[in-house]
Formats: sequence, structure tokens, C-alpha cells
Amino acid sequence: MRFVLPKGRLFKGSLEILRKAGIELKPPENRELIVKNGRYELLLARAFDVPVYVEYGVDVGIAGSDVVEERESDVLVPLELPFGKCRLSLAMPKENAVSVEEMDGFRIATKYPNLAKKFFERRGVEVEVIKLHGSIELAPKIGIADAIVDIVETGNTLRANGLVEVEKIMDVSALLLVNRISQKTKFKEINELVLKIKEVVKDEF
Amino acid sequence: MKKDLFSESERLADITKYLRRTFELWGYREIFLPTIEEFSEQLRKGTKFAYNNGFYVIKPDLTSQILANLKEPRRLKLYYISEVLNGGIKGNWQAGVEFIGGEDVKMQVEVLLTVITSLEALGIEDFYIDVGSLKVWERAIEGIEEFKAEIFRALTRRNFEIIERLPINEEKKEELWQLFNFRGKSCEYEKLNKIIEAVDDERVFIDFGTIRPLPYYSDIIFEVYSPKIGKPLGGGGEYTFKGVSAFGFAFDLNTLSKLFDGRIEKSRKRIGGEPKEAYKLAKELVKLGIPVEVGE
Repeated sequence: MRFVLPKGRLFKGSLEILRKAGIELKPPENRELIVKNGRYELLLARAFDVPVYVEYGVDVGIAGSDVVEERESDVLVPLELPFGKCRLSLAMPKENAVSVEEMDGFRIATKYPNLAKKFFERRGVEVEVIKLHGSIELAPKIGIADAIVDIVETGNTLRANGLVEVEKIMDVSALLLVNRISQKTKFKEINELVLKIKEVVKDEF
Repeated sequence: MKKDLFSESERLADITKYLRRTFELWGYREIFLPTIEEFSEQLRKGTKFAYNNGFYVIKPDLTSQILANLKEPRRLKLYYISEVLNGGIKGNWQAGVEFIGGEDVKMQVEVLLTVITSLEALGIEDFYIDVGSLKVWERAIEGIEEFKAEIFRALTRRNFEIIERLPINEEKKEELWQLFNFRGKSCEYEKLNKIIEAVDDERVFIDFGTIRPLPYYSDIIFEVYSPKIGKPLGGGGEYTFKGVSAFGFAFDLNTLSKLFDGRIEKSRKRIGGEPKEAYKLAKELVKLGIPVEVGE
């Protein structure tokens, strides 16, 4: 069975929950991106790419609900996992904070252009969305965007950059992902894995 | 620039040649639809645009486009090979059939056999077809209809936690869990049993976990897949058009082309020698439907 896990903030939690469910995956020692361990193979990918790998054939993956929704991946999501909790929010500089409805014509910087566009469309507000790959908080600071849509965990990063949360767009959590075809061709193995992880979640969290 | 359009085109030409032949052998006629349709609520997918104060859709979903053009239901067996857009500029090539106004069960059996023989014509033998039913689910949630949307969300994501959180009794949850994981050759739904028996292929199964989240499906739905590839090869289902039942399916040609190894081409009969004799033989073979290549 092949697993794909995200490098970054969800990696430790992902390895731990799988280990508790009886799946020992060795973290890579140097810079390798594929590690084999007996029957299992571990692939390391960028968080944003995990749902795509699962959609196109890797059996199982773990990714945040933010990236699954952003990439609109056609994957099965049998379980929500009890880590990686945070929220996707709209934030802007404290001194000129306005409500969503007053944001017509604003420029929004984000790593989540799809989710941002959909959010403003639902509210009937026309904005320009620009995609950045990181340090989103920088954009309003130097004036290339009026507001940002980004992940908020504690709010410290926002505060440190003089930003306030205007509205929460969605709650985010880590999710267990399963490839649609693997669910059929490896039915028993995958059902067992899902049930085991479910037990771990019930017992430990 | 896209990846090599010409080699991709060659593959699609090879595949669609065999699909066309199989669809026609089963009695389907090709339908030629316009690239652009006037916008209507009925059309799904496609890319919308405005022109001269009107709204239009480029390359919408074919089933919805056929129905939008069909004023009165009648018996029709159609097939199409077309690109479909989904809000953007990059399309997906599909090949599919629609059987409208046929007899219940016979229609489903015939379409499933069309799928099987199409794949076999492409030399693809390693596949499965999982057949499910929306009516079975609707019957299972009788009395708890208020949770229908959530139960179907649970089904499409295969997330049973959503059902566990609902305020319904344990017995019902257990029943839904059993259905969720049901896979076999016969079940309590006679219509499905009849279909599976008539199709009579060891690669076809009843699987109630198979759900295709398209708004127009009314009962029987199916998905075609191969253990060799992580994406479905295609799928289809039953729908009703102005009171008449219909059944259709579509292949995703890009996925299919990854499985097709072109080995059929190797069975092309190569003929050499004197042109007169060679072409005489070639002509006879072509008449019999055997592919030929006359050498230099």
C-alpha cells in the first residue's frame, strides 16, 4: 500500500496516528522522497499536492481540509483526524478594516485562489484575487493587496503584522484521504486501516 | 503550448476508431452537436460567455445538451465523441452513449454490454464494473428523509462518521453501514439481480457504495475502473426524461488512453508483393472488417 504524506506542519501528526494504527512508516533519513518499509511505501509531497497524488492513484494520504477543498480533488474522505486544527480566514490591516460587503474592487492575496473566489462570489462581492505561494501577510504590508485569505492558528502571525481577522471562511482539520479505485481494489485492507485509525482517534483524543 | 497534440491525437484516433465501431455494432448513431449552445438552466458544465447581449455555453455536458435539444422523448440510441469543458478553457475528451426510451432492464443490460465489448475491442480485459442503485438508498432512508443530503454527502466522500453523528437509532445506522459496504453478485433488489444475471460477466458486481453525485440520475448507476489505474475509466446511470426512462454512460478518453497499449494495431494484416495481388487480397480483407497495411 502506498501512502503520501505532506511535508510541513501535518507530517509529525500523520506519522504518529498511522504508527498507533499499526503502520510503521520510516521518516526519510536524508533528502529522499520515497521510503520503502516492508509492504508500505511512503511518499513525501508538498501539502498542496497530496490530494492530487491520491486522486491520481496513491492509495492513502493525509492532508488538510483546506487543500482538499482548494484543489477540488475527487477523493474519498473516510475520516476527519484530530490534529492540524486551524481556520481559513479573511484578514486585513487593522487601521482600514471593513466588512466583506464593502470590499468591492479589493485585491486579495492568498494561497487559496479557488476558495477565496468562491467565498466572495457567494457574498456577491467582486474582488481581484492574486495567488502567492507564502508569506501572505507581507502583501497588505507593502500595499500589493488590500486583504488576505490565509490559515490562522493562534492569530499571533496576524497580530505581529498588524492584521485583524475580518471573518472565518472555514474550519480546517487534517483528513484521511483514500483513492476511489483503491477503495474498491484494496477494499479489505483499506477498511481495516480506516477502522483502526478510528479506534485510535476514539481512544486517544 | 500543450503537450504534443499530434501524438495525443494519434492515440485518441486509435481508441475512438474501436469505440465507434463497437457503438455502431450495437445500433447507436453518432450525434453531431453544436460547439456553442444558448445558455439554459438545463445545461451542465461547459464554459459560459456573453456575446451580443446573449448568454452562451461552450461544450457543455453531452447528456444535458442532448436533452436540451430533444423536444419530445422518443426511442433513441445515440453516441458521441466530444470534448467537454467545465468552466475553464481546458477540456476533457469523452465518448459515450445514450439509450432513451428503451425497455427497463434490457436497456441497462445492453449499455453495460456495450461498455464491456468496447473495452474488449480496445484489448482492455482487466477491468471491473460496480453497479449501484439510488432507489435502494432512498428506501433505506425512508423515515429519515430530513438527513438525505447529509447521508448522500457521507456516501460520496465515503465518510461514515457523518452518519454516525446523525440523531438516528443504532439499528438504522447498522443497516446503513451494511449497505455502505455491500459488494456481491445478488441482493434484495430484483431489478439489479436481473441486470447482473443477464450481463453475466465475472467482472460486474453489485456495490451500493458506488455513488455518482450527478443530479439527474434516478436509480441504477455504475462505475468502470481498472486496478491498473487510479481514476475511473468512466461510468453512467439511469435518468428520466419527460417521464421516459433512459440510460447512458461516458468513457473518460484521457484515462482510457493510458490503459490502451495500441497492441491491436499489431494485429493489422501486413500485405506485401505485387500491387495487383496485394490490393486484391487487401480489398477482400477490408470487406471482412480486417485491418490491413499494404507494404512498399
